[in-house]
Amino acid sequence: MTWISKATTTFGLLLLAHACYSAHEHSALQAHRAASLASLTASQAGVATSLPIDIAIETVVATFIVVLGLVLGTAQLRPIRWRVWAGQIEREGEEAFKDADGEIARDYIGNPFKLLESRPGFVDIRKQRQEFADWVKSQ
Amino acid sequence: MSTERELQVAPIVPESVMHNTKALSNIQSLTASIFGVAAGILGLESYSGFLFYLIFSILTTMLFYTVRVAPTSLKSGLGPFDTSRYFRTQYEFWTGGIFGGLAGYILTWTLFYGLVRA
Repeated sequence: MTWISKATTTFGLLLLAHACYSAHEHSALQAHRAASLASLTASQAGVATSLPIDIAIETVVATFIVVLGLVLGTAQLRPIRWRVWAGQIEREGEEAFKDADGEIARDYIGNPFKLLESRPGFVDIRKQRQEFADWVKSQ
Repeated sequence: MSTERELQVAPIVPESVMHNTKALSNIQSLTASIFGVAAGILGLESYSGFLFYLIFSILTTMLFYTVRVAPTSLKSGLGPFDTSRYFRTQYEFWTGGIFGGLAGYILTWTLFYGLVRA
Protein backbone atom coordinates (compact mmCIF):
# COMPACT_ATOMS: atom_id res chain seq x y z
CA MET A 1 0.00 0.00 0.00
CA THR A 2 2.71 2.42 0.91
CA TRP A 3 4.62 2.34 -2.39
CA ILE A 4 1.36 2.89 -4.29
CA SER A 5 0.76 6.02 -2.24
CA LYS A 6 4.32 7.27 -2.73
CA ALA A 7 4.29 6.59 -6.47
CA THR A 8 0.92 8.32 -6.90
CA THR A 9 2.03 11.36 -4.92
CA THR A 10 5.30 11.64 -6.85
CA PHE A 11 3.51 11.34 -10.18
CA GLY A 12 1.01 14.01 -9.15
CA LEU A 13 3.77 16.36 -7.98
CA LEU A 14 5.59 15.88 -11.30
CA LEU A 15 2.41 16.77 -13.19
CA LEU A 16 1.92 19.79 -10.95
CA ALA A 17 5.49 20.96 -11.51
CA HIS A 18 5.01 20.56 -15.26
CA ALA A 19 1.78 22.55 -15.15
CA CYS A 20 3.51 25.24 -13.10
CA TYR A 21 6.35 25.46 -15.62
CA SER A 22 3.88 25.58 -18.53
CA ALA A 23 1.89 28.37 -16.89
CA HIS A 24 5.07 30.30 -16.23
CA GLU A 25 6.21 29.90 -19.85
CA HIS A 26 2.77 30.92 -21.07
CA SER A 27 2.80 34.12 -19.05
CA ALA A 28 6.40 34.88 -20.10
CA LEU A 29 5.42 34.38 -23.75
CA GLN A 30 2.41 36.62 -23.30
CA ALA A 31 4.52 39.36 -21.78
CA HIS A 32 7.10 39.06 -24.54
CA ARG A 33 4.46 39.13 -27.28
CA ALA A 34 2.74 42.10 -25.72
CA ALA A 35 6.04 43.96 -25.50
CA SER A 36 6.97 43.22 -29.13
CA LEU A 37 3.50 44.10 -30.35
CA ALA A 38 3.61 47.31 -28.43
CA SER A 39 6.85 48.23 -30.17
CA LEU A 40 5.30 47.48 -33.59
CA THR A 41 1.77 48.78 -33.20
CA ALA A 42 0.47 50.47 -30.14
CA SER A 43 -3.06 49.25 -30.85
CA GLN A 44 -2.84 45.73 -29.39
CA ALA A 45 -0.76 46.48 -26.31
CA GLY A 46 -1.93 45.00 -23.04
CA VAL A 47 -3.63 41.99 -24.57
CA ALA A 48 -3.89 39.29 -21.91
CA THR A 49 -5.35 35.90 -22.61
CA SER A 50 -6.34 33.54 -19.87
CA LEU A 51 -4.54 30.27 -19.16
CA PRO A 52 -4.89 27.63 -21.90
CA ILE A 53 -7.46 25.01 -21.03
CA ASP A 54 -4.98 22.12 -21.17
CA ILE A 55 -2.78 23.64 -18.46
CA ALA A 56 -5.85 24.24 -16.29
CA ILE A 57 -7.00 20.64 -16.72
CA GLU A 58 -3.50 19.35 -16.00
CA THR A 59 -3.36 21.39 -12.79
CA VAL A 60 -6.70 20.13 -11.52
CA VAL A 61 -5.91 16.50 -12.41
CA ALA A 62 -2.46 16.76 -10.79
CA THR A 63 -4.02 18.18 -7.60
CA PHE A 64 -6.49 15.35 -7.50
CA ILE A 65 -3.76 12.73 -8.01
CA VAL A 66 -1.59 14.23 -5.24
CA VAL A 67 -4.54 14.28 -2.85
CA LEU A 68 -5.35 10.67 -3.73
CA GLY A 69 -1.76 9.63 -3.03
CA LEU A 70 -1.63 11.50 0.28
CA VAL A 71 -4.95 10.05 1.44
CA LEU A 72 -3.81 6.52 0.56
CA GLY A 73 -0.67 7.13 2.64
CA THR A 74 -2.46 8.12 5.86
CA ALA A 75 -2.24 5.93 8.93
CA GLN A 76 -4.99 3.49 9.82
CA LEU A 77 -7.54 5.03 12.17
CA ARG A 78 -8.25 3.51 15.56
CA PRO A 79 -11.70 3.08 17.07
CA ILE A 80 -12.39 5.55 19.87
CA ARG A 81 -14.94 3.49 21.80
CA TRP A 82 -13.10 1.49 24.42
CA ARG A 83 -14.96 -1.75 23.80
CA VAL A 84 -14.55 -1.56 20.02
CA TRP A 85 -10.86 -0.71 20.42
CA ALA A 86 -10.17 -3.49 22.92
CA GLY A 87 -12.14 -5.98 20.84
CA GLN A 88 -10.12 -5.13 17.75
CA ILE A 89 -6.84 -5.60 19.63
CA GLU A 90 -8.00 -8.91 21.02
CA ARG A 91 -9.07 -10.16 17.60
CA GLU A 92 -6.24 -8.81 15.46
CA GLY A 93 -3.39 -8.28 17.93
CA GLU A 94 -0.56 -6.10 16.68
CA GLU A 95 -1.80 -6.05 13.07
CA ALA A 96 -4.16 -3.13 13.69
CA PHE A 97 -1.34 -1.03 15.12
CA LYS A 98 1.21 -1.42 12.36
CA ASP A 99 1.97 1.65 10.30
CA ALA A 100 2.81 1.76 6.59
CA ASP A 101 6.37 0.47 7.13
CA GLY A 102 5.21 -2.57 9.09
CA GLU A 103 6.43 -1.22 12.41
CA ILE A 104 4.28 -1.34 15.50
CA ALA A 105 3.21 2.04 16.85
CA ARG A 106 5.05 3.25 19.94
CA ASP A 107 1.90 3.72 21.99
CA TYR A 108 0.77 0.14 21.49
CA ILE A 109 0.24 -1.21 24.98
CA GLY A 110 -0.76 -4.75 24.13
CA ASN A 111 -3.93 -6.53 25.05
CA PRO A 112 -5.93 -4.45 27.54
CA PHE A 113 -7.36 -7.66 29.00
CA LYS A 114 -3.87 -8.90 29.91
CA LEU A 115 -4.60 -8.36 33.61
CA LEU A 116 -7.57 -10.70 33.41
CA GLU A 117 -5.62 -13.32 31.49
CA SER A 118 -2.76 -13.50 33.99
CA ARG A 119 -4.59 -13.16 37.30
CA PRO A 120 -4.30 -16.08 39.78
CA GLY A 121 -7.08 -18.63 39.87
CA PHE A 122 -9.39 -19.29 42.78
CA VAL A 123 -7.86 -20.46 46.02
CA ASP A 124 -9.38 -23.52 47.72
CA ILE A 125 -9.39 -22.12 51.24
CA ARG A 126 -11.08 -25.16 52.80
CA LYS A 127 -8.40 -27.48 51.47
CA GLN A 128 -5.66 -25.19 52.81
CA ARG A 129 -7.36 -25.10 56.20
CA GLN A 130 -7.56 -28.88 56.21
CA GLU A 131 -3.85 -29.11 55.38
CA PHE A 132 -3.03 -26.64 58.13
CA ALA A 133 -5.14 -28.60 60.62
CA ASP A 134 -3.40 -31.84 59.65
CA TRP A 135 -0.03 -30.17 60.06
CA VAL A 136 -0.99 -28.83 63.52
CA LYS A 137 -2.21 -32.29 64.60
CA SER A 138 0.97 -33.91 63.41
CA GLN A 139 3.10 -31.59 65.53
CA MET B 1 -25.42 14.70 32.89
CA SER B 2 -26.49 12.40 30.09
CA THR B 3 -23.19 12.71 28.24
CA GLU B 4 -21.22 12.01 31.42
CA ARG B 5 -23.29 8.93 32.02
CA GLU B 6 -22.80 7.92 28.40
CA LEU B 7 -19.04 8.23 28.82
CA GLN B 8 -19.22 6.02 31.89
CA VAL B 9 -21.18 3.37 30.02
CA ALA B 10 -19.14 3.56 26.82
CA PRO B 11 -15.68 4.92 27.70
CA ILE B 12 -13.51 6.57 25.06
CA VAL B 13 -9.81 5.93 24.43
CA PRO B 14 -8.07 9.34 24.43
CA GLU B 15 -4.99 8.01 22.58
CA SER B 16 -7.15 6.85 19.69
CA VAL B 17 -8.97 10.19 19.53
CA MET B 18 -5.63 12.02 19.39
CA HIS B 19 -4.24 9.63 16.77
CA ASN B 20 -7.27 10.03 14.50
CA THR B 21 -7.41 13.80 14.88
CA LYS B 22 -3.71 14.04 14.10
CA ALA B 23 -4.07 11.90 10.98
CA LEU B 24 -6.94 14.08 9.73
CA SER B 25 -5.30 17.44 10.49
CA ASN B 26 -2.01 16.29 8.93
CA ILE B 27 -3.64 15.38 5.65
CA GLN B 28 -5.67 18.59 5.64
CA SER B 29 -2.75 20.94 6.22
CA LEU B 30 -0.62 19.07 3.64
CA THR B 31 -3.29 19.14 0.96
CA ALA B 32 -4.13 22.79 1.71
CA SER B 33 -0.63 23.78 0.59
CA ILE B 34 -1.03 21.71 -2.60
CA PHE B 35 -4.35 23.46 -3.30
CA GLY B 36 -2.57 26.77 -2.88
CA VAL B 37 -0.03 25.77 -5.54
CA ALA B 38 -2.84 24.75 -7.91
CA ALA B 39 -4.81 27.95 -7.30
CA GLY B 40 -1.68 30.03 -7.90
CA ILE B 41 -1.01 28.22 -11.20
CA LEU B 42 -4.62 28.67 -12.29
CA GLY B 43 -4.35 32.34 -11.40
CA LEU B 44 -7.51 32.45 -9.32
CA GLU B 45 -8.43 35.68 -7.64
CA SER B 46 -10.65 36.66 -4.69
CA TYR B 47 -13.84 34.62 -4.24
CA SER B 48 -13.07 31.99 -6.87
CA GLY B 49 -9.88 31.10 -4.99
CA PHE B 50 -11.74 30.54 -1.73
CA LEU B 51 -14.42 28.58 -3.57
CA PHE B 52 -11.68 26.41 -5.10
CA TYR B 53 -10.27 25.75 -1.62
CA LEU B 54 -13.68 24.93 -0.19
CA ILE B 55 -14.54 22.50 -3.00
CA PHE B 56 -11.22 20.72 -2.89
CA SER B 57 -11.06 20.43 0.90
CA ILE B 58 -14.55 18.91 0.94
CA LEU B 59 -13.37 16.55 -1.81
CA THR B 60 -10.36 15.59 0.31
CA THR B 61 -12.53 14.87 3.32
CA MET B 62 -14.84 12.77 1.18
CA LEU B 63 -11.86 10.84 -0.17
CA PHE B 64 -10.49 10.34 3.35
CA TYR B 65 -13.90 9.08 4.41
CA THR B 66 -14.11 6.58 1.54
CA VAL B 67 -10.56 5.30 1.97
CA ARG B 68 -10.09 5.19 5.73
CA VAL B 69 -13.45 5.46 7.50
CA ALA B 70 -16.06 3.83 5.29
CA PRO B 71 -14.75 0.24 4.90
CA THR B 72 -14.72 -0.61 8.61
CA SER B 73 -17.46 1.81 9.63
CA LEU B 74 -20.01 0.40 7.21
CA LYS B 75 -19.03 -3.15 8.12
CA SER B 76 -19.70 -2.46 11.79
CA GLY B 77 -23.27 -1.47 10.98
CA LEU B 78 -23.09 2.33 11.00
CA GLY B 79 -24.89 4.30 8.32
CA PRO B 80 -23.14 6.09 5.47
CA PHE B 81 -21.43 9.38 6.42
CA ASP B 82 -21.49 8.35 10.08
CA THR B 83 -17.99 8.83 11.51
CA SER B 84 -18.79 8.06 15.13
CA ARG B 85 -16.54 4.99 15.10
CA TYR B 86 -13.40 7.14 14.75
CA PHE B 87 -14.35 10.73 15.63
CA ARG B 88 -16.26 12.19 18.54
CA THR B 89 -18.42 14.58 16.56
CA GLN B 90 -19.50 14.75 12.94
CA TYR B 91 -18.73 18.48 12.90
CA GLU B 92 -15.11 17.85 13.85
CA PHE B 93 -14.65 15.49 10.92
CA TRP B 94 -16.43 17.32 8.13
CA THR B 95 -15.56 20.95 8.81
CA GLY B 96 -12.75 20.86 11.37
CA GLY B 97 -9.91 21.01 8.87
CA ILE B 98 -11.21 23.78 6.64
CA PHE B 99 -10.05 26.59 8.89
CA GLY B 100 -6.89 24.78 9.97
CA GLY B 101 -5.48 24.68 6.46
CA LEU B 102 -6.63 28.11 5.31
CA ALA B 103 -3.46 29.94 6.39
CA GLY B 104 -1.18 27.51 4.54
CA TYR B 105 -3.45 27.71 1.52
CA ILE B 106 -3.27 31.49 1.29
CA LEU B 107 0.50 31.40 1.79
CA THR B 108 1.19 29.09 -1.15
CA TRP B 109 -1.60 30.62 -3.23
CA THR B 110 -0.05 34.10 -3.12
CA LEU B 111 3.47 32.69 -3.50
CA PHE B 112 2.71 30.72 -6.66
CA TYR B 113 0.49 33.45 -8.09
CA GLY B 114 3.47 35.75 -7.88
CA LEU B 115 5.95 33.13 -9.14
CA VAL B 116 3.98 32.12 -12.23
CA ARG B 117 3.12 35.65 -13.29
CA ALA B 118 6.63 36.98 -13.03
